[in-house]
Amino acid sequence: MSAIFKYEVETEAEPVAAVVPERALISLEQITKTYDSGENAVQALRGIDTGITAGEFVSIIGPSGSGKSTLMHILGCLDSPSTGRYWLDGEDVATLTSRELARIRNRKIGFVFQTFNLLPRATILKNVELPLLYAGLGRDERQERAMKALERVGLNTRHKHRPNELSGGQRQRVAIARALVNNPSLILADEPTGNLDTKTGSDIIKIFEELSHAGQTIILVTHDPAIAARTQRRIRIVDGLIDKESD
Amino acid sequence: MIIFESIIDGIRDIRDHFGRTMLQLVGIILGAASIVATFSLSTAGKAASMEFYRVSGGIQKMWVWNKPTGKVTLNAKALASKGLTYSDALAIRRDAREIDLVAPMASQNTVVRFGRVEKTREISGVTPEYAPLTDFHAGTGRFLTDSDVASAARVVVLGSERAQEFFGTDNPVGKTLTIGDTGYAVVGVMEEKYFSFDDKRNVLRWMNRQIYIPVTTLITRRGETLEHGKIDRMQTRMKSVKRSDEAVDEVARILMREHGVKDYDVMSRVANLRRNEQNNKMYDMTFMVCGIISLLVGGIVVMNIQLASFNERVREVGTRKAVGASPAQIFFQFLSESVLVSLFGGLLGLFVGRLFTQAITSLINQPTVITMGTLINAMIFAAGTGLLFGMYPAIRASRLDPIVALRTE
Repeated sequence: MSAIFKYEVETEAEPVAAVVPERALISLEQITKTYDSGENAVQALRGIDTGITAGEFVSIIGPSGSGKSTLMHILGCLDSPSTGRYWLDGEDVATLTSRELARIRNRKIGFVFQTFNLLPRATILKNVELPLLYAGLGRDERQERAMKALERVGLNTRHKHRPNELSGGQRQRVAIARALVNNPSLILADEPTGNLDTKTGSDIIKIFEELSHAGQTIILVTHDPAIAARTQRRIRIVDGLIDKESD
Repeated sequence: MIIFESIIDGIRDIRDHFGRTMLQLVGIILGAASIVATFSLSTAGKAASMEFYRVSGGIQKMWVWNKPTGKVTLNAKALASKGLTYSDALAIRRDAREIDLVAPMASQNTVVRFGRVEKTREISGVTPEYAPLTDFHAGTGRFLTDSDVASAARVVVLGSERAQEFFGTDNPVGKTLTIGDTGYAVVGVMEEKYFSFDDKRNVLRWMNRQIYIPVTTLITRRGETLEHGKIDRMQTRMKSVKRSDEAVDEVARILMREHGVKDYDVMSRVANLRRNEQNNKMYDMTFMVCGIISLLVGGIVVMNIQLASFNERVREVGTRKAVGASPAQIFFQFLSESVLVSLFGGLLGLFVGRLFTQAITSLINQPTVITMGTLINAMIFAAGTGLLFGMYPAIRASRLDPIVALRTE
């Protein structure tokens, strides 16, 4: 691999290979986001530059209105930046269409939300299967992989229940299983402990820590310093810019 | 696969919101039901008409009637014309090339007596052609023959009810019936004629109450010569339905030649049939429009409820999008739900339509026939309604911005 790489550099390296560092999973270059272009334009992000390496456990912190939600949406491919480039896994996703973004979300990103966002009428198993359904997998493979994901969060015995039969902590674990099930490059958790008590929240962060040890890249958005402290690196956003990055 | 999952989801949705779904479906149910009722009525109506035509002499049948001219100024020949005569029938039989059967008919009320039973009854003077033209044949004995007509024989053939009236359960053949003051040998009794549109009333019962003697006998008994013997009407049969207009024209031309004035009327069953078909089309259209309007209303309700259900599920749509559902997948999920709901409504509509047709049958004695094609048509219309009106909610759901959707409480 390295020999081939060298050879390419010596002749004429591909621009992509040159720009994106080999191990960088995410690279943000001068990301800006402006809402309502015109007189009432609000610039939520004013030029974010950062990179995240595969396997990192990073938290994004900042006061409300700082732009961290906007950044999270862009990182999660739910939204596109106004300007700048966003390399995810070697692909510039800043310019993709909504259909292509759906595919990226489906294959490369797993979401965990503050409010769990499980489908109330579907069983736990069906909830976890959902990303695989949209990926077009067959029923048997979906069930097998969903059961494995539930096993990783310790809920494989509850797969026939409905979300409203579970506690908040259990629901969030189901959501984590759903985020894991498609083997994503990146898990994106938006205030995952916001609706949980301290003890349960701590248990959830423990699951993220375990996943991180197993090599999973995780970005966690939080306003809770105690939770941010348990991640490997903190990116602090203030007024649409990175205020401070700390290890 | 997504479609399949969506169908499962849709069924779950119907079950979870059964009352709401039923409301949503009322329009679709009524629409599909009225389509079923329309088709079953008109299919049955057409079949019954055709059957009636078949048992009463076929669609090649034509009639010639006497008809007053209403004209004041008439030439000598026209003044001499006294309406249809026996010789007109002979002229048509001889000259008309489009006609293969001619049956002149004259009738008269006379006292009829056998033993102690004496009643005034209508006597019909006919010819042997009458039997094939009305598809009416002797049950016992025989019908009138050409030699009966040629010799103006005093023979009589009875309708089944008349036979019973005068002879009870005895076999009348060979006995002598007194008509007026003359004895007639009973040579046959007709089979019983029956046809009903509603299985209750025999619309051909009048045929069982006929008394037939040779038309020549009737004319001479009145003291008229055969040449000027008046007849009331003629039934004729055209050789080919395709040349029905020519047949009518030809008969009219021959009569004009004989009479010099239009004191007759020629009608064909084909012309009646054409007029009926026109009426039936109008009738079908009216019902179809009613069905389509109720489907449209049903469709609008489906759309409304789909939109409401979409508003309830904005967050769910957001979640689905976040985990990678493409706009097309969301579109098909919503569309298949409304198609499914409409198909379900269509299915219920089939049963309601069945009830409609039963009600129609028992209330107004109209026959109804439900065919497979009718059911398929109704289902296609119902599904089409779901497809059409599910489009807008599905497009809205597919275009929903996932960020907005996830933020919605």
